[in-house]
Amino acid sequence: MRKTALAMLASFTAVLLLAPALHAEDTYIHYLKNKQEPADCFESRDGYSNATRTEVEPGLPNVKCSNKTGGVLWWGDPFDGTEPMGEMPVEADYTREEAVVKPRTGQLKYYMPCTACHNGSMVPYPKNKNPRPLAMHQDIVPDSMNLQHGQGAIWCLDCHNARNRDTFIDHKGGEIGLNQPQRLCGKCHGEVYSDWRDGIHGKRIGSWEKGGKKRWWVCTECHNPHTVQERRFDPIAPEPRPQYPRTRANADHERGHGAGAGH
Amino acid sequence: MSEPRDKDEKKKDAPLKPDEASRREFLGGAGLSVTAAALSGAGALLSGSDEAEAKATWGEWFQKNYRLMTEDEKREAVLRLEKRYTEEFGKQTTVDSAPAKEGVLFGYALNIQKCIGCRRCVYACVKENNQSRDNPEIQWIRVLKMEKGNFLAGDMDKGYPDPAGIQVGGNAYKNSGVVLEGEHYYEPAEVPEKGYFYFPMQCMQCEKPPCVKVCPVRTTYRDPDGIVVIDYNWCIGCRMCIAACPYWARRFNWGEPNLPAEEMNPVTHYLGNRPRMKGVAEKCTFCLQRTRQGRYTACVEVCPVGARKFGNLLDPDSEVRKILEKKKVFRLKAELNTYPKFFYFMD
Ligand code: SF4
Ligand code: SF4
Repeated sequence: MRKTALAMLASFTAVLLLAPALHAEDTYIHYLKNKQEPADCFESRDGYSNATRTEVEPGLPNVKCSNKTGGVLWWGDPFDGTEPMGEMPVEADYTREEAVVKPRTGQLKYYMPCTACHNGSMVPYPKNKNPRPLAMHQDIVPDSMNLQHGQGAIWCLDCHNARNRDTFIDHKGGEIGLNQPQRLCGKCHGEVYSDWRDGIHGKRIGSWEKGGKKRWWVCTECHNPHTVQERRFDPIAPEPRPQYPRTRANADHERGHGAGAGH
Repeated sequence: MSEPRDKDEKKKDAPLKPDEASRREFLGGAGLSVTAAALSGAGALLSGSDEAEAKATWGEWFQKNYRLMTEDEKREAVLRLEKRYTEEFGKQTTVDSAPAKEGVLFGYALNIQKCIGCRRCVYACVKENNQSRDNPEIQWIRVLKMEKGNFLAGDMDKGYPDPAGIQVGGNAYKNSGVVLEGEHYYEPAEVPEKGYFYFPMQCMQCEKPPCVKVCPVRTTYRDPDGIVVIDYNWCIGCRMCIAACPYWARRFNWGEPNLPAEEMNPVTHYLGNRPRMKGVAEKCTFCLQRTRQGRYTACVEVCPVGARKFGNLLDPDSEVRKILEKKKVFRLKAELNTYPKFFYFMD
C-alpha cells in the first residue's frame, strides 16, 4: 500500500518536473522522439483540405506529416486523390498541359450530396434571394444577416444555386460544379483570377516543366469563403523553432537593435 | 522511432580506419607516405579492415574533384556511394548524377506578402535533403520574423537609423522595423502574428556567387542550370564559403550528422541531398535531385499559402517569368552584385 503511494508520488513529481521542460522544448527532435506522425493531416485549411497518409509503394508515403501540427510537410505523390480539372472557359496553362485538382466535394462536411435535403420537398426552394436568418448551417455562417463577404452587396444565393444546391451559379444563371470554385470566385475577383491562371496566385505542385503535369490548388482550399473578409487565411500553428545556439537558453540575444541576424 | 544513430559510439573500440579518421589527420599523417607508395602499399595500410569497405573508402578518399571526373569515374563513384548508403541506412538508396538540362536556368520567387511564417518549408527541406536532425541540427531555410514598418509623417523628423542596424527599408529617418534584424526563434501558438511579416532566407543561387570565389579547393561551383553545387568529398571544411556568403545560407557539419534511418530520403543526387559527413559545408540546392527530374522543390510543394514559386527563367511562360513581368520584385542585397536568382515579390 505504502509502496504504491510512494511510487505514485514519485511519478507525480517526475511528471511535474518533466512537463514544463518538455513543453519548452519546441524543437523538431523533441517532436520526432516524443510524438507520433498523424495519419490524417491537413494541407492548407485544417478540416477543409485534408490528406490521409498511405503508402504509394513500399517505403514511399503519399505525404509526410508534421508530428507537431499535423500539417503536410512533404509530398511523395503530388497527384494523390486528384482528378482532371474539368473544363475552364479561359485559356491558361491548364488548357495546354495536364492539370488536375483534388475534388472539393470529398472535403465538405455536409455534402451527401446537398440535394439529399435541398430538393424542393424536404427543404423547400427559397422564394427569393432576400437575406434571412439561417435555420441551419450556423456553424458555417453564424450570422447570416450580417454576412461580411460582399459587404451587403451579395448574399448566399448569389453564389449557391437555389434550384440545384449541388452547384454554384454564374452571372447568367448557368451552373458551376462544386469542384470548380475558381470559376465562381472569378466572377468578381478578376485580377486574382488572372494571377491564379498564370500560376502567380495560389499553388501548384507536381512538375515545374512546361507541359508537365500539375496539381492546382483551387480557391477554397486556402480561403474560407464565408469568413474571408475577416481573415484571408486562417492562422495555423507554426512548426517547431530551430534549436537555440549551444550556449543560449533563449533568443534574447536576437532582440533589440544592433544584435543583428549575424552568424 | 529509433534514436538517431550515434556513429561516434562504434568508433571507440574499432581500430582507426581512414574513413573514420578526419580527412586532415589522414592526409597530414599516414597519407603522405601512402601517396608516395604504390597502390599495393595501400593495401597494407588498410589491412585489418573489411575488404569491401576498405575499397570504398579508398576510392572515396582518392577520387577526383567531381567536375574533373570522366563519365566512367562518375559512375563508379555513384555506385560506390549507393552501395555504402544502402548498407548504412538499410534501405535501397539511389545516387543520381544527372547533369544540368539544356536551356534551363532555375529561378525562384517568394511572395513576402503571403508568407505566414509557418516554417513548413523549413522541414519540407529537412525531410527532402537529409540534413542532420540533431547535434548538430541543420536547416537550410531560415524564416525571419520582422516588425512591420510604416511611413508615418510624425516619425519623419526622428533621428537616423540605429548605427548598428543595417537599413534595408523604412524611411531615411527611422528604420521602421525593416532592418535585417529579424528574429527566427519565434514560437507563438499561431502564425501570422499581428504587426509582423515573415522573411524566409535560403541560398539565392547567385549568378556571381561569392562562396565560389573563395573556395580554395574549388569544390563548390556553379552548374550550367545556375545551381551552386558542392562536391562534399572535396570539401576540406575551411568554412571560407560560410564567411563569404552574404545571405547566411551555408551550414557546417560541426559533428557527425545524425540522420535516423527511417527519416532518411533514399532518392538522392551526388551534388544534392546524399548523406553528408562531418566537417563539410552544405546549403540549399533548389532540390536539384528533384528539379533536374522536372519536379518542384520540396518547399514549393508544402507552402500552405502558395508563397513559393519556382521555374525556368529562360521560359517566358514560366511562373517566375510571369512574376518578374507582373509584380513588384526585389533581390536581397542587390547592391552586392551577387545577382541572386531568388526574387522576393509583392502583390
Ligand atoms: S546565397 Fe550564399 S551560398 Fe548561395 S550562391 Fe550566393 S553566396 Fe553562395
Ligand atoms: S511554408 Fe510558406 S508560409 Fe510557411 S514559412 Fe515557408 S514560405 Fe512562409
